[in-house]
Amino acid sequence: MFSFRKTLAPTFLAAALIAGSDASAFTACQVTDTGGIDDNSFNQTAWQGVLDAQESLGVEGRFLESQAETDYVANINSLVNGDCDIIITVGFLLGDATKEAAAANPDQAFSIVDYAYDPVIPNILGQVYATDEAAFLAGYVAAGVTKTGVLGTFGGINIPPVTIFMDGFYRGAMYYNAQNGTEVTVLGWNPETREGLFTNNFNSLDDGRAFAQNLYDEGADIVMPVAGPVGLGSASLANELGADKLMLVGVDADLYLTDPNNSHVYLTSVTKRMDATVSEVIARAMNGSFEGGVLVGTLDNGGVDLAPFHDMAERVPAELSTKLAAVRAGIIDGSINVGE
Amino acid sequence: MTSTPISGPVAQKGKKLDTTKVRQAHVTGWILLGLAVLAAVVFGAGSEGTATFRLSRPNDPWALPDLLIPAAAFNYLVAAVLAFLGVRQFLRGGLRWTSLSLGLGMALAVAAFLVWATAGKGFSLTGMLQATVVAAVPITLGGLAGVLSERVGVVNIAIEGMLLAGAFTGALLGSLVGGIGGLVAAVVIGGMFGFILAALVVTYRVDQIIAGVVINLFVLGVTSYVSSQVYSEHRFLNNAPIFSPIRIPVLADLPVLGPMLFQQNLFVYGAIVMVAVATYYLFHTRMGLRARSVGEHPRAADTLGINVYRTRYINVTVAGMVAGFGGAWFTLGSVGRFDENMTNGLGYIGLAAMIFGRWHPVGALMAALIFGFANSLQQKLALLNTPIPSEFLAMAPYIATIVLVAGVVGRARAPAADGEAYVKE
Repeated sequence: MFSFRKTLAPTFLAAALIAGSDASAFTACQVTDTGGIDDNSFNQTAWQGVLDAQESLGVEGRFLESQAETDYVANINSLVNGDCDIIITVGFLLGDATKEAAAANPDQAFSIVDYAYDPVIPNILGQVYATDEAAFLAGYVAAGVTKTGVLGTFGGINIPPVTIFMDGFYRGAMYYNAQNGTEVTVLGWNPETREGLFTNNFNSLDDGRAFAQNLYDEGADIVMPVAGPVGLGSASLANELGADKLMLVGVDADLYLTDPNNSHVYLTSVTKRMDATVSEVIARAMNGSFEGGVLVGTLDNGGVDLAPFHDMAERVPAELSTKLAAVRAGIIDGSINVGE
Repeated sequence: MTSTPISGPVAQKGKKLDTTKVRQAHVTGWILLGLAVLAAVVFGAGSEGTATFRLSRPNDPWALPDLLIPAAAFNYLVAAVLAFLGVRQFLRGGLRWTSLSLGLGMALAVAAFLVWATAGKGFSLTGMLQATVVAAVPITLGGLAGVLSERVGVVNIAIEGMLLAGAFTGALLGSLVGGIGGLVAAVVIGGMFGFILAALVVTYRVDQIIAGVVINLFVLGVTSYVSSQVYSEHRFLNNAPIFSPIRIPVLADLPVLGPMLFQQNLFVYGAIVMVAVATYYLFHTRMGLRARSVGEHPRAADTLGINVYRTRYINVTVAGMVAGFGGAWFTLGSVGRFDENMTNGLGYIGLAAMIFGRWHPVGALMAALIFGFANSLQQKLALLNTPIPSEFLAMAPYIATIVLVAGVVGRARAPAADGEAYVKE
C-alpha cells in the first residue's frame, strides 16, 4: 500500500521529467455522474484531481457531464472517439457503461471512481475507498457531541459507495456507546437489513431539506447526508435552525471549505480524497505504470480522512478528541474492526 | 371498472347509467371488503403494542401529549368499519355514497397500515403533515400552471422548464437584490417562457408537445451551463436568502394544524391563494368562461367574438408566471441556492396532478397533497424499519396517486380542444 501524501510529489516530478515536452499532449478526460461538475462534493472532488494534475503534470483535462443516467454510454463513447489518453468515469453507476466501453476498446486506458471489477479488467483501474473507516470516526465523534442522543443519516441511492458511509457512521456511534456506556441511536440506516432512508436521486436539494427536517423532527441533532449536492439542501435547514439545534456531517469533500455559505453548520466531514486517487491514476498513466486493478484509499494512506472541526472545535471536548485519536490509531493498526 | 359507452335511444340511457352505477358500487364493495380482510388479518393480527404519534416536536415551545393508539384494537376496529362500508355497497341506497365510501375506506386502510408499521414505535405526526404540505407546494403550482394553459387548449409540457427557470432566476436575482426581487424576477421569467410557448404554438402552430420539450431542454441546458461555469467561480451569485415562515397569530398555536398550515412561508400561502383565485377566475367570471370556451371549442368561441389567440396568449403567459413562482420555491422557499436540474421532474408530476385533479385547480391541489402525503409517509416508514424494501417505499407516492385517482376520481376528461392549434379563417 502506498501513501498518497508521501509518494505523490516525487511521482509527479518523475512523470513530468519523463514526459518532458510531450506533457501537454497528454489528455485526461472525465465523465461525471449526474449532479454536475460543481456539486461541491463528489464530482467536483474528482475533477479537482484532474485540475491538480493539470497544474503539477501539465496534462490537459476535459470533462463531460452526465445529465441523466442515459448519458453515461453516450458520453463515454464520445470520448473514446476523441483522443483521450485516459478516460476517468466518476461514480458507481457508470460501472456497467465503463466495462462495456473498456471491452470494446482494449487499447484505451480507463479508470473509474467507486468501482472495483472482479475479475480485474486489464485496462480499467478501479478507485475504491474504505470510507467506512473515516465515517466510523465521524459516527464516534458525533455520538460524543450529540445532546439529544439521536443521530441521523440518509443516502442518495441504496448502493455500496453510499451505504459504506452509513455503515461506518452507524458502527462508530455504536462503538462509542459500547466504550462509554451511552445509548445514542442512529436513525436512517439499519446495517443488518441494509435498509434505510434514501432520496433516490442526487438532484433534489429540496429533498435534502425535507429529509433533514424529518430526522430533526424525530430528535436528531446531527445528521450525515450521503447524497452529493442533495446534502446542501440539508445545510440550508441547519443554517436556518442554527448549529445548536442541527449540525451536519459532510461527505466526500471538506464541506466547511467547499460550501462556505453554510460552513458554520458542519461539525466535520468524511473526506474521500478522490482528487488524490485521480491524480495518482493520471500520474501512473503518464509514466507508463498504469495497469488494471484496484486502488484503495484508506485512513492509513490518506485516501479517506476525517476533516478538521474548524469552528466546531470548541464543541468537541478535549477528552473526546483524545479518545478519537486512540480510535483512529486503532483502526489504522487493525485493532478496531470497522466492519462489524 | 370503466363505464360502458352510452349509446342507443334516449329511453335506454337512464337504465344503462343505473347498471353502470350498480356495478361500480359492487366493485367498490368488493374492494372495501378486501381492505377489511387485509386490515384484520395482516394489520390487526400482525400488530403488537402501542403506536405512538407525537403531536408536538422536541423543540416546540408548547407540548401536547402523544397520541397513543393500541395497534391491534385500532386495526380490528378499522376492519369492522371497512366491512360495514363494503356491505353497504350491496344494499339498497348504498349507491349514492360509492365514491365517498371508497375514499374514506382508502384513508382508513392507510391509517391501519400506518398504525401497523408504527406499532411498538413512534414518530412525529405533526412533522409528517407539515412535510406533506411543503412537498405539495411545487406540485400544486406546477399543476395549476397546467390547468390554466390546458383550459385554453394549450398542452403545457414546458412546466418543468418554467419551474427550473424560476428556480434559477430566483437564486440569481435573490442573491443580487434580495428575496422579493428574486421572486418578482422568477415570476417575470416564468411569464416570459409562457409567452414564448404561446408564440410558438399559437402564432407559429408548432406542435405543442415539441414546443414544450424544446423549452425544457433549453432551460436545462442554459441553467446547467451557467451553474457549472459561473456559479462555481462566483459563489455570491448563488446564495439567495430564504423566505422565513410567517406565523399567523393565534392560528399558528393550534396543535397539529398550526405547524401544518399557519407556520409556513410565503409560497405555501401563495399556492393556496392562487388555487382559490384560479378557481374563482375559471368558473365564476366571464373571463374564465371565455377562456374555457376557447379550450373546448375555439371555433364557436371565435364566432361569438372571443379573440382566441389573445385569450391563449394571456392564459399561457399567466400559467408561466405561476410556474415561475413555483420555481422560485425551490431556491427562495427551500434551499437558498440553485443546482443543476434541481426540480428533478416535479414539473411532470405537477402535470400528472393536473390530470388526476381533472383539470381543476382544487383537484390539482388535492392530487398534490396526496402525493406529498405519500412522499412524507415514505420517509417516516423508512425510519421505522418496516420490513418493506426502500425501493418499494419510494414508489409509494406514485402508486398512491394512481390508485386514489383511478379509484376515487374516476374518468377525467380533458378540454376538447386541448393540444390543437386553432387556425382562424
